Amino acid sequence: MSPQDNIQSLTSIPENWIACKDCDLLIERMDATPGDRALCPRCANPLYQPRENSIERTLVLAITGLLLFLPANLLPVMYLHIVGQESTTTIYKGSLVLFQEGLYWTALLVFFASIAVPLCKLLLVAFVSGCLYLQRSSTLLPYAFRYYHYLDEWGMLEVYMLGVLVAVVKLKGMASVVPGIGLYCFIALLLVATTMSSLLDEDSFWRKIEQGLKDRPR
Amino acid sequence: MRHPLTARQLGLIRCHTCGKLAFDIGHDDYEEHCPRCHAHMHMRASNSLSRTWAMLITAAVLYVPANVLPIMTVTYFGAGEPDTIMSGIILLLQLGSYPIAAVIFIASILVPLLKMVALLILLLSVHLKWSLDDRQRTRLYRAVEMVGRWSMLDMFVIALLVALVNFGSLAQIVSGPGATAFGSVVVLTMLAATTFDARLIWDKEDTDG
Repeated sequence: MSPQDNIQSLTSIPENWIACKDCDLLIERMDATPGDRALCPRCANPLYQPRENSIERTLVLAITGLLLFLPANLLPVMYLHIVGQESTTTIYKGSLVLFQEGLYWTALLVFFASIAVPLCKLLLVAFVSGCLYLQRSSTLLPYAFRYYHYLDEWGMLEVYMLGVLVAVVKLKGMASVVPGIGLYCFIALLLVATTMSSLLDEDSFWRKIEQGLKDRPR
Repeated sequence: MRHPLTARQLGLIRCHTCGKLAFDIGHDDYEEHCPRCHAHMHMRASNSLSRTWAMLITAAVLYVPANVLPIMTVTYFGAGEPDTIMSGIILLLQLGSYPIAAVIFIASILVPLLKMVALLILLLSVHLKWSLDDRQRTRLYRAVEMVGRWSMLDMFVIALLVALVNFGSLAQIVSGPGATAFGSVVVLTMLAATTFDARLIWDKEDTDG
């Protein structure tokens, strides 16, 4: 049954209907296998993209990310040597120093984009995919996954990584720069977090959350 | 081919957060909640155009101090002067770091500027009902949504440098007020892209056709 056949007789919304986020076109969901990517026929916006074992994989990656989180943020990212003196920095120290220098807004922005949001994203995905994996349903699930959706674009680990490269080049003429163990942890965290986001099948997560709440014994 | 049918034409609302379809029960904004994720549902993002205008204009105003005020001051063996975004790029060019200079130029100057121009075109095209290609405009919108975050690059560079270079009179890097203005520009243009409802681009065709 396609949307076009139903203009007159719509009393309930068929399960397999979806609408495009960017152009509102009504579309009938088709069977897709992992590797497929459904695009809107009118505006070419990606509609859904099934992923293999999305729940298990994102759960594992979220836990890995959480394990890497503390070392990546607390261990020195870089060592800098200038005429016999040494200094180091960590991810959180950057926002701390900006805060001490009085640029509160900038400090908060850096703190959120490089630390708080990536951490919240890992925690939320660990919670949601953990619940789905164990087939536990919770009324908190829709809220948790909603906030993941809102936070998604504000975590900027990959931009931070490019920032590290730029900072190294800028300092090259001034002093000698040595990467620290924190940098390797940070790169690992970045890879884990990015893979997690790309393997997360939002569309099927939402449907599973909905199904789980429906089946819950009252 | 039958004319394409949108959710709105059947009285359906697509939840902007989770994608669930629901009947429009005809309430005012903020009264209907998504049956799946409980987010507020709107047929179209409420006051999308005015909100986007407000943020775009604020971003454009702040773009001036962001580029004129110093973002940081590098002092090396007692000498040094405040750097703006552009003077930092020129300095990198003089040192011969062309690729990095290009990256910063694109991320800090070109992307925010092009983003604001693109949002301006999108807003004007909806207001004045320009007959531009809808598909192309949606593509432009998606590009704006996607590249915005990379402008944060300079903020992270500043955060790293001020924390790292702190050797007193020998060498010191201190942040400047331009950084605040620049950060605000980046956040405001990102928010402007989020509040703009791309479905408005298509509504004209759907009502006329």
